[in-house]
Amino acid sequence: MLTALEFMLPPFVACMLLIGINIYFGIHVIKREIIFIDIALAQIAALGGTFSVILHELEHDHTGHTHGDEGMMAYLLSLVFVIIAAAVFTFLKSKKLPIPLESLIGIAYAVAATGSVILLDTMAGGDVHVKEMMEGAILWVSWEQIIELAVVFSIVGIFHYTFRRKFLSLTDRYNDGTSEYSPLWDFLFYASFGLAVVHSVEVGGILTVFAFLIIPASISALFTDKWFSRILIGWVIGSLVTICGLYLSWNMDVPSSPTVILFLGVFLLLALLLKSLKKTFHPSR
Amino acid sequence: MIDTILFLSAPIAGCVVMAGILSYFGNHILTRGIIFIDIALAQIVALGTMVGLLMGFTEDTMTIELVSLLFTLLIISVFALTKFEKQVVPQEAIIGIIYGLGLGLAMLLAEKIPGGSNFISKTITGNILWVTWDKVFSCFILFLAIAIIHFFFRKPFIKISESKENLPFSIKRIRLYELLFYITFSLVVVRSVPIGGIFLVFTLLIAPTAIATLFTSSWKQRFIWSWIIGILGSIAGVFISYHMNISNGPAIVCLLGIMVFVLALVKIAVNKNSLTV
Repeated sequence: MLTALEFMLPPFVACMLLIGINIYFGIHVIKREIIFIDIALAQIAALGGTFSVILHELEHDHTGHTHGDEGMMAYLLSLVFVIIAAAVFTFLKSKKLPIPLESLIGIAYAVAATGSVILLDTMAGGDVHVKEMMEGAILWVSWEQIIELAVVFSIVGIFHYTFRRKFLSLTDRYNDGTSEYSPLWDFLFYASFGLAVVHSVEVGGILTVFAFLIIPASISALFTDKWFSRILIGWVIGSLVTICGLYLSWNMDVPSSPTVILFLGVFLLLALLLKSLKKTFHPSR
Repeated sequence: MIDTILFLSAPIAGCVVMAGILSYFGNHILTRGIIFIDIALAQIVALGTMVGLLMGFTEDTMTIELVSLLFTLLIISVFALTKFEKQVVPQEAIIGIIYGLGLGLAMLLAEKIPGGSNFISKTITGNILWVTWDKVFSCFILFLAIAIIHFFFRKPFIKISESKENLPFSIKRIRLYELLFYITFSLVVVRSVPIGGIFLVFTLLIAPTAIATLFTSSWKQRFIWSWIIGILGSIAGVFISYHMNISNGPAIVCLLGIMVFVLALVKIAVNKNSLTV
């Protein structure tokens, strides 16, 4: 029992951190109807990483870079790519184009994904990376990574808490088109979100982060419209799901990320059931 | 030159056939704002194939294609029929959830099937270069049949895509139209994704119509322009990929995708000028 606890503690803490930040962002994303933004940003960050590998190959012949340098370079390039993407999305949104922003996000995703394929085609063994990025390896997270996550998420969290009025009102009126729209705050939203996504995906994998982002926020949207209660509901559900998922994956020896995701799905079904029961008993609401 | 064209003729024909039907559907998908529906569908198709394999059927047979198709139609029917409830969660979020759960389940099943993880990466890439004339021809027949259906029902389909409220049909009627729309769309996705891969299908669906919609809002013009853009873009992509020695699918995706962003910027620049003049 003790070994189980010892072994499962780091992934559990990491999941709680992921939930903490992603549920908050999930509510933004659902309200803005830019559901697939995190997959796109993650893919764009990966393109940045791929780019750095290529750059590294190019200059590798004559210089003796250490491995740490390479990792740092990949990280910085990923961030630069994400920030450029944030700037482009903000710019395009501010111009009120006649097509939904989600379609541009989707196209950016497709271009980033196939772009890395084209880049990696020039090297061997590139496609192993794809599945790894989807699944992540939350079971093998180290305390060092957890501390890093905690620091980054605290910074982003405090930033958003301090300027919560700006961010919340921007998102609440994102799609009505009438209110004044502030490109600066929109850019800051995407940039901070991008930072959180880059770090989340590195630990949790694209799919897990996506599920944490969308499903709890959708569940809470069924029951309330208030930000605070939505976040609270999301956190409670997220924690319950993580505990169930990790426990089951330990006991039945199945991969943890998919299990957690399927538990989220189960909770969504339960929530839908509860909602329809509520409707039959209080038909006025 | 002649050799090149002969060698590339089947992939080009495949692209043109796919671009023809996908650019048409794209206009509906974009107007409805359910951009990622085909990626979610493709994931469900892959999951259906895996379920079929688990039931003991062999790969690449009619039975397994049938199982996969039935599975997909089941999911899409649920999706089509739940649309007209009062919506608190956007439809795109439901699509996202379907995608996430589908992929999660596929990952769990992949452990149970020998070589199962292949199915996850296989759907992503596709391979248009090795498409056979037989396949192109059978796709053409199927897509033609679907196009005829859509031609007959063009008016109700356009009306339903444009708005969810105040439609001049009964709820029952609307649900029937919805079912027809999504079932035909699933058939197209089920046939196209194994040939072109998820990203090529996604791009042929969204990019041409996005470009057309930037410049016009009339349905007729959007149809015509998205056809022209989709077909010319894929032909150009195949040639570029051949000459630069990169994969076809990714070349078309990048060409069309980057074009969308460039033209969006052009549109913004043109608007600015017309405002100042």
